[in-house]
Amino acid sequence: MLIALGRRLLSMLVTLFGVAVIIFLVLRMLPGNALTASLGVSTGLLSHAQLVALDHYYGVGQPVLSQFGSWLGSVLTGNLGVSLSSRTSVASLVGSALPVTLELAIGSMVIGVLIGVLFGVFGALRPGRVVDNLGQGVAVVGLGVPSFIIGTGLVTFLASTFHYFPSSQGFASLFRDPWLNLQQIFFPALTLGLGVAAALLRTTRAAMLEVIGLNYARTARGKGLARRQVVWKHLFLGALVPVLTMSGIQLGYLLGGTVVVEQIFVLPGLGRLLVTAINNRDFPVVQSVTLIFASGFVVVNMLTDVAYTLIDPRTRS
Amino acid sequence: MARQKDAGASGRHRRRWAGGGAVLVVGAGLVSLGAVPVGAGASVRPQVSRPHAAGGTFVVADTSSVQKLDPDVVTNFLDFQVLGQIYDQLVQYNSKLQIVPDLATSWKYSNANKVLTFQLRKGVRFDDGSTFTSANVVASLKRAVNPKTGDASASFLANVKKIVPEGPYAVKFLLSQPDTSVLNGLTSVNLSMLSMKAMANGTVGKKPDGTGPFVFAGWSPGNSFSMVRNTHYWGGKVTLPAVKIETIPTEQSIASALEANTVQLGLLTQPQVANHLPSSVKVRKILDLSYRALMLQDKTGPLANVNNRRAIACAVDRKQVLGDAVFGQGKVVGPVPLGPFASNPVSAICATPDLSKAKSYLQKAGDPGGFSFTAITSTDLDPSSAAQATVVQAQLARVGIKMNIQNLAGNAYIQDWLKGQFQAAFAYNGADPSPYTMYGRYFGKGANLGVPAGYSSASLQKLLLSGDTAASTANQAKIWTAFGNDLTSNAVWIWLFSAFDYYATAPGVRGFTPSPTNSTSLSALRSTTMG
Repeated sequence: MLIALGRRLLSMLVTLFGVAVIIFLVLRMLPGNALTASLGVSTGLLSHAQLVALDHYYGVGQPVLSQFGSWLGSVLTGNLGVSLSSRTSVASLVGSALPVTLELAIGSMVIGVLIGVLFGVFGALRPGRVVDNLGQGVAVVGLGVPSFIIGTGLVTFLASTFHYFPSSQGFASLFRDPWLNLQQIFFPALTLGLGVAAALLRTTRAAMLEVIGLNYARTARGKGLARRQVVWKHLFLGALVPVLTMSGIQLGYLLGGTVVVEQIFVLPGLGRLLVTAINNRDFPVVQSVTLIFASGFVVVNMLTDVAYTLIDPRTRS
Repeated sequence: MARQKDAGASGRHRRRWAGGGAVLVVGAGLVSLGAVPVGAGASVRPQVSRPHAAGGTFVVADTSSVQKLDPDVVTNFLDFQVLGQIYDQLVQYNSKLQIVPDLATSWKYSNANKVLTFQLRKGVRFDDGSTFTSANVVASLKRAVNPKTGDASASFLANVKKIVPEGPYAVKFLLSQPDTSVLNGLTSVNLSMLSMKAMANGTVGKKPDGTGPFVFAGWSPGNSFSMVRNTHYWGGKVTLPAVKIETIPTEQSIASALEANTVQLGLLTQPQVANHLPSSVKVRKILDLSYRALMLQDKTGPLANVNNRRAIACAVDRKQVLGDAVFGQGKVVGPVPLGPFASNPVSAICATPDLSKAKSYLQKAGDPGGFSFTAITSTDLDPSSAAQATVVQAQLARVGIKMNIQNLAGNAYIQDWLKGQFQAAFAYNGADPSPYTMYGRYFGKGANLGVPAGYSSASLQKLLLSGDTAASTANQAKIWTAFGNDLTSNAVWIWLFSAFDYYATAPGVRGFTPSPTNSTSLSALRSTTMG
């Protein structure tokens, strides 16, 4: 098992290196550079001497390979560089944005898992009944309606009807103001969580329907176990592997999904940082944030694989 | 130049959603990690504002964020607006776009308009406690013209040979030629007066230190910017104790924040959002000091023929473009949109559409059946440019002119625009009350933006020079009218319209009247109150 884990770690590192190369090259293949992104058409107003001085500052004239080497070397030593736009350290920008995004992603997963698993399990136990139909409705909304529409609708409805838009008053961390923080996180987490719930609900329901008819389930019921024990200890545990796979995939996607939701709900997370940095051609910030998103995805996938081995003894071999 | 933009209820009126707590049954289970805004250094303090109570923080919301702290290098519209509250310049524009004193109390041209002497205000203190004197003027402007600074407004000082202090409270600008527009240039935030200490310590871009009505308090890049009132402000008492600029990335969310009373002033540009705010929110609209134009390159192809360009000028219905692009929320304008020399009529030929004239120009050009060309747009830089282009395309088709539209990403557009690699471009350009300041850079001799301007003529250069050196306002008015007529009769570009900016204030906010220039648009904050 340790060898398998080592191989997985190695492939994770190779993947991350590939991501770093691709992001680095794609950014530099786009038209324009940090100077034109920063100054816009005002770049044309600069004298030759000014352009030379600023090209040097922004590193515009340096060979791509040397830029990549210098960036990768810095990243490996924990130095993410300095934002070209705000001239502050990228590590400090990421350090303030990452917790917001993690909190949002975890909150969304909690909501998504609660709604998805509960509706999936109970819907499968009584197919075609009220709970199942309600769950199917949630799934249709979660899968069919984009998060930016759900988010914008929620913000507009709450503000115009209840004069309530807690995240517009500046983000409050959980440690500074837990009450306000939870209000600020709940609605964006709900918006993202609906999408997660939809996918999990369908997966859970299908997996449960599959195991309900199996012999071991009939045996569990036949030997007189309590209904709760049959459902959660036997049926759900048997259906857990596909649910776990889907959860891992959804958590990975969630990190990317925060980009839109953070914009709508005014959350100062990594997604918003990334959008601003892309607009400003702030290469050090874009590279670092993208690498963090990619690392999140890869690490979650690896943890999902590890979880399989804990849940399903057959995979240990 | 394209404008960089990439714009209460009192506590007792506030209604909170009583059901808000119910959601916390789930929320309480969240594993949460605290986020602490990180700023530019030890001086940056994280702040969290609340729905305000009387006497609390006044929150201004904008879709953009403060991007830089160094006033010499800012190009973002919001940066100008915000840093304009911390820094002062020698002179400024008033609401009628006339030049009035700021840190200079008076000025006088002498020696055949080749010497400009400023008398400086006494008793002005920087936030670091140091006193403003002529040494600050000399050092600040020296920093601005230093190539390493990268100040895009340094070109405004191109005719300034030397700046000489005349005692602590007077300063003399020695000019290489008579230049009246240097005064207009000096209104720019890019030419702000800086503290000697900040310049010596290299902290200009890290901790703003000015003489304006507000003092820098904190910055969370991409999120918020805070300032508190300057209790030593030379211009009198500042009413608001604290102001926070909050970045809310979408205008619809700003509208929601105004309704929720978490924001006291929302800076908006979209009429579809501003016009649907509840009646309790007061919306003031003001013509944006910029303009939309269809820039034409006259070097090659059908647009090199002046009569083809004139045909375009006559076929375009500017009023309809304004209506379709921004719901009619603005004004059809000519080359000089605002100020004492505003163009009237907006064009020397076809101020209103005239299709038969357009067809006769096509005949004269030898293209009676029309011609085709491509126009670039960038919805990244100006979301309304796609609508403008679609309307103009349909209007030109009526006389047989086929306009192809190519929408480009913001940076690709800027790249092509700077190199003049386009036949026509829908542009969102910054304006100025001084025609020389606006167009010297496009059509003047050796103009920096001569390539994207796509047109040059000796007559335009002569008019620009004489307008800049004319001594009397009456003379200037005549020259600038002739200049505008030259531009429009040759259909150098097709000037379209200026749109409104919207300043939406929550109930209880009093005394806020926006000004039309970027550095002064928020200047009324110093006398604003909230209930």
